[in-house]
Amino acid sequence: MKEYFLLMVGAALVNNVILGRFLGLCSFMGVTTRIDTAVGMGMAATFVITVSSMVNWVVQTFLLQPYDLAYLRTVTFILVIAAAVQFTEMTVKKVSPPLFQMLGIYLPLITTNCAVLGVALLLVAGEMNFIASTLFAFASALGYSLVMVIFAGLRERMALANVPRLFDGPPIGFIAASLLALAFMGFSGMSTTG
Amino acid sequence: MNTHDFTTTDYAAPGLTEGIAQVVALDGRGIWLVPEQTGSCGSCAASSMCSAKGIGTVANRLEARRFRLDENPAELIVGERVVIGVRENALVRASLTAYAIPLVTLLLAGALAQWRYGSDLVTMAAAVGGLLFGLAVARIGADKLLARGDLLPQYIRRARPGETCNSK
Repeated sequence: MKEYFLLMVGAALVNNVILGRFLGLCSFMGVTTRIDTAVGMGMAATFVITVSSMVNWVVQTFLLQPYDLAYLRTVTFILVIAAAVQFTEMTVKKVSPPLFQMLGIYLPLITTNCAVLGVALLLVAGEMNFIASTLFAFASALGYSLVMVIFAGLRERMALANVPRLFDGPPIGFIAASLLALAFMGFSGMSTTG
Repeated sequence: MNTHDFTTTDYAAPGLTEGIAQVVALDGRGIWLVPEQTGSCGSCAASSMCSAKGIGTVANRLEARRFRLDENPAELIVGERVVIGVRENALVRASLTAYAIPLVTLLLAGALAQWRYGSDLVTMAAAVGGLLFGLAVARIGADKLLARGDLLPQYIRRARPGETCNSK
């Protein structure tokens, strides 16, 4: 149990997908203008990252590894992610059409989110069992969502601040992101090896 | 006597998250609208490649998100662009209902199966079962949100010429 807990803390905070590995920066800068949109994107990404990582683990363990097809890994994973996004879209639409109308717009953005592929490739490198890989993917996605929401909060406050004209918009956003990355570097001192 | 200036604006009330939609059809007293692209930059929808019709394209996805307003308050006509809004916390509630519930049941079922049986195959089967159960619960939750009117968009005003979702 402790092993899984440390794995999750490591994935969410110490090696954060956005601020530690610099993945998913497009959505990080693009969808963080409001907290509620950041939450929507974060939840959708968490769902897709977890589900696609589960499927990718199965494909890697029962198909790519036994038949020595490692060279097809990236292509296969991209296909699985696209299918997972499509599955999510169809499921939400089936479960509740009004929910789909409200949330569906985030899903196309996730298909091209490199964080999803990045987490899947990290899982292969980690050689974990099914539950460990699922928890790792879930924690990585939670870390992604956490940073999205924190940054959205900062940007909502910055929108009210008197920022010099040259720094207004993306420049001050990048400066805030770099300061946030420095803050997250503080977690790198934590040991997650047990 | 201590007097205060009261206004009708309730600042504690949840605001509206705004978006832009286009009227695509009139239907009796109601109107059908298609939301405009609300991606990170909005420019994607403008590119000829993304706007192409077909499965999986932005235009196709947006058309699938067509919705109806029961009234036509400003006598809108087809082709007009309007600003619509949904309650600010509706997006968070909808996200939690659609994604968090199935995810939590998936992980709980998987973790319980792993703890009880310690087999990857059993864990996978349990996770899939948990996901299906979570989706059923999410459906009930979504119905409750819908019954309360939390998911219904509201007409706010006509959009200004050239106004986009990123305009101030």
